Amino acid sequence: MNLLKRYIIPRLIQYFIVIFIGVTVVFLVPRFTPLDPVVTVLNRMTSYGAQYLDPSAIEKLKDTMMELYGLKGSIWEQYLGFWKRLFKGDFGPSLSIFPTPVISIIANSLPWTAGLLVVVAILSWVIGNILGGIAGYYADKKWSKFMSIIAMSIYPIPYYIMALVLLILFAYIFPIFPMVGGYSIGLTPSLSLEFIFNVIKHATLPALSLILIGIGWWFLSMRSLTSTIVAEDFVTYAEVMGIPSRKILFQYVMRNGLLPQITNLALQIGGIFSGSLITETVFSYPGLGQLLYMAINNGDFNLIMGIAVLSIIGIATAALVIDLLYPLFDPRVRYR
Amino acid sequence: MKKFSIIILFILMLSLVGQTVTFSQVLPKVPRHETLIVDALHGRLANPKDFNFWKPGVSVGNGAQQMLFDGLWYLDSQTGKVINALAQSEPVYENNFRKMTVKLRKGIYWSDGKPFTADDVVFTVDYLMKHPGMSYSDALNRYVSKVYKKDNYTVVFELKESVPAFHYLFTSIVYATCYIMPKHVFEKVADPLKFEFNPPVSLGPYVLKQYDPQGYWWLFERRVDWRRTSVGQIYGMPQPKYVLFIYYGPDEKKVMAQAQHQLDLIFDLTPESWEILRKSNPYSRVWYKDFPWAWMDDVRARIMAMNLEKPPFNNKDVRWALTLATDIVDVVTSGFDGIARVNPLWICATESLLKEYYLPMENWLKNFTLEDGFKPWDPTVPDRIVDYAKKRGYVVTGNPREIFGIGWWKYAPDVAEKLLVKNGFKKVGGKWYLPDGTPWKITITAPANFEIHATRLAFAVADQWRKFGIDVNVETVEAGPFWNKWNLGDFEVGSYWEVPATDFYTFVQGYHSRFYKPTGQVATSGNQIRWKSAKLDKLLDELVKLQPESQKAKAIVSDILKLYVEEMPAPVFIINLKFNSQDHYYWTNFPTSDNSYMAPVWWWGQFKFILPHIKPTGRK
Repeated sequence: MNLLKRYIIPRLIQYFIVIFIGVTVVFLVPRFTPLDPVVTVLNRMTSYGAQYLDPSAIEKLKDTMMELYGLKGSIWEQYLGFWKRLFKGDFGPSLSIFPTPVISIIANSLPWTAGLLVVVAILSWVIGNILGGIAGYYADKKWSKFMSIIAMSIYPIPYYIMALVLLILFAYIFPIFPMVGGYSIGLTPSLSLEFIFNVIKHATLPALSLILIGIGWWFLSMRSLTSTIVAEDFVTYAEVMGIPSRKILFQYVMRNGLLPQITNLALQIGGIFSGSLITETVFSYPGLGQLLYMAINNGDFNLIMGIAVLSIIGIATAALVIDLLYPLFDPRVRYR
Repeated sequence: MKKFSIIILFILMLSLVGQTVTFSQVLPKVPRHETLIVDALHGRLANPKDFNFWKPGVSVGNGAQQMLFDGLWYLDSQTGKVINALAQSEPVYENNFRKMTVKLRKGIYWSDGKPFTADDVVFTVDYLMKHPGMSYSDALNRYVSKVYKKDNYTVVFELKESVPAFHYLFTSIVYATCYIMPKHVFEKVADPLKFEFNPPVSLGPYVLKQYDPQGYWWLFERRVDWRRTSVGQIYGMPQPKYVLFIYYGPDEKKVMAQAQHQLDLIFDLTPESWEILRKSNPYSRVWYKDFPWAWMDDVRARIMAMNLEKPPFNNKDVRWALTLATDIVDVVTSGFDGIARVNPLWICATESLLKEYYLPMENWLKNFTLEDGFKPWDPTVPDRIVDYAKKRGYVVTGNPREIFGIGWWKYAPDVAEKLLVKNGFKKVGGKWYLPDGTPWKITITAPANFEIHATRLAFAVADQWRKFGIDVNVETVEAGPFWNKWNLGDFEVGSYWEVPATDFYTFVQGYHSRFYKPTGQVATSGNQIRWKSAKLDKLLDELVKLQPESQKAKAIVSDILKLYVEEMPAPVFIINLKFNSQDHYYWTNFPTSDNSYMAPVWWWGQFKFILPHIKPTGRK
């Protein structure tokens, strides 16, 4: 009961306040930018031939669209309407792809973003941490130094360059992997093995590019954490006690080093809702990043809000879950 | 040595695996030699399954309008010729342009077997008028009092007022037009704003076979009954059995794809990307076989737009001074490596418009004088660009005047200086000062990360004006704010591209002072430069009473062009250029400078008429 009152309830309140403030900011920011979604759509229409409309007809069209897009009321009325819709899980219609519901646009892209980024985050976390832990524990070995050099060389490479090099190597010079899309043209989405393998094949290069960079980061951070922990008294004591080094590494050293890494992993997974713009652009891979970029350029307030709200909820929830689970990982929190 | 051999073997194996995959990875289930692969204009579409063109904001340039929709008329910007598509002939006006009769082509069918008749046209107009918010609804309501069929293949429009250009609403002049709806589909639709028209019933020569729910590609298959379409009747069978529209991503990927013969037609590339592609794929070409390669007959041209409400740009002498302080050959060579056609008039210097407007005006241009008697016309510009090209080692074949334009304004900084001094400007220590004594600073607004040619022009012109003694800053802005600044007039000078071509007649209507919007208000109907002229109003009042195709209308257009030169509201520099590269590996006979039968616009609705002209090379 005490834990609930002193730990869980304050964190829940904090969670809702963060979401409320975040969502309000997301509502206001696009409206204070010089972007006007109706004018943007009209620009697109006029540059694509609607200039054959009489100028007065264009004026009339502008008014009609303001009405349709729900942009005619005061900002306060729009804000209230926004919260009402949000409680029903409705972000309203996209303004650049009117009147497609924002929720269906996001739902179309989210599985691809989530599928790729969750797998990438977990794989690079696991591989990077294990290798980093081993390299940090056996810091004097030649292979450990070699791995560190590799990680230090890969990590600072700008992601765009890394992605492009992989693409040129494995989609152009050796065209093993495809250059575009989530699966091949002609295939119908299904649970067949052919389709699943095809999806994996399409995701390989985007995933590889993210994993390589991700491993570099996790490796370096874990190695640095481990090299500090190794020097602590309890590790020396364990060694003196004759405990096998593998056990010391995995159960004493790495377990302690994992705590900040778990927090980072949770935040990373919580942040996937904003997608990965560069990966999606370079590999033409479906996802939320390009949607967000397109929404910002077109002044599509509703789509910007839809993606940003999900992202805020994702990160806040991840932070909350970690806060609530921390006592399980770290006895020091439990006994405080 | 053993290890080295293993590595070589591994690389060879990889390349062999690669070779087998190369031609199958894009289209594993469709024969490549029967498929034309086209770059998708809009990139990835967030809602790729929506084919309801008549909703505002639905993007149809990724294949839908080229393959599935059809309109009454198309005006080809390259040749200036009209294609009577669904209409059998040109419109007939009566009663002082208050009544328009259209004869429709017989024997046209929708892809589901229903005949196309006057009922579809009447329904389209009625339906759009009854549904506010749909595209063209406001325009049709503005003009049409009644639409009805005289017989199954004759439609009559009765108009509320005299509208000599009413048929332009149904003519694809640039990009698209008001396409005709299938009555038998839409009459069952209660709320067309929520209707996605999927699967689409086609009036074009192809049907939709498959699309990517993630919005990267759309595959179309030729209709078995292609003869029952306007394309089939006019030009014969579209050659590719399949047409795939696909978005590969940024330029680098498009270059890789075309170098691998996996992308036949590209929308546009940067000059640098084209240079790489040219060197890596001998089958790739753009419009010209040699220098300057690019297609330079696009329907917009680059201007230094000046907000005429903001001093000192409200002064004609200042605008002319800035024009004469610009060495166009230097701009074209330093900013574009000579790949440009100069475009001095307020109409694009396309192949057809050069003949129609530029050449007849050449004498007037030669004799045109500024107030002090100075003749600013410089016909030597094309030859000087050729000289530059030759020095660079490029081969130029063809008439320089047809390729690089017939001339521009002289580089005359001394005359520019006189014009400014006359208006109270002072030059001290090589720097210009405004009449109020403050240093003259100009900010040029330019696009960031898109429309690279506009950005380059901004920097090239900024260099010219700096050399002349003005403190110039180039501000690059992302697309959203860039266009908002344009509409609100939130710019001093902007590198935009608002110059009409074959659409001059309608384009200029928005410059009438009755549509004028002061700075700070959105100018959606054009005239973002805020040009107000009683003389222009008078000419526009006359023009609007005439049919655009008439000789009288063309004479007034020429008068407007002359007025623009006299007033020089914003100097026009070069026509837009595109590196819309074609790969001749699987398909050939695309429109080129040697065979300019149509504008090479894969992203416009008229692309469907190019398809019967192209030929397979026989490669598999």
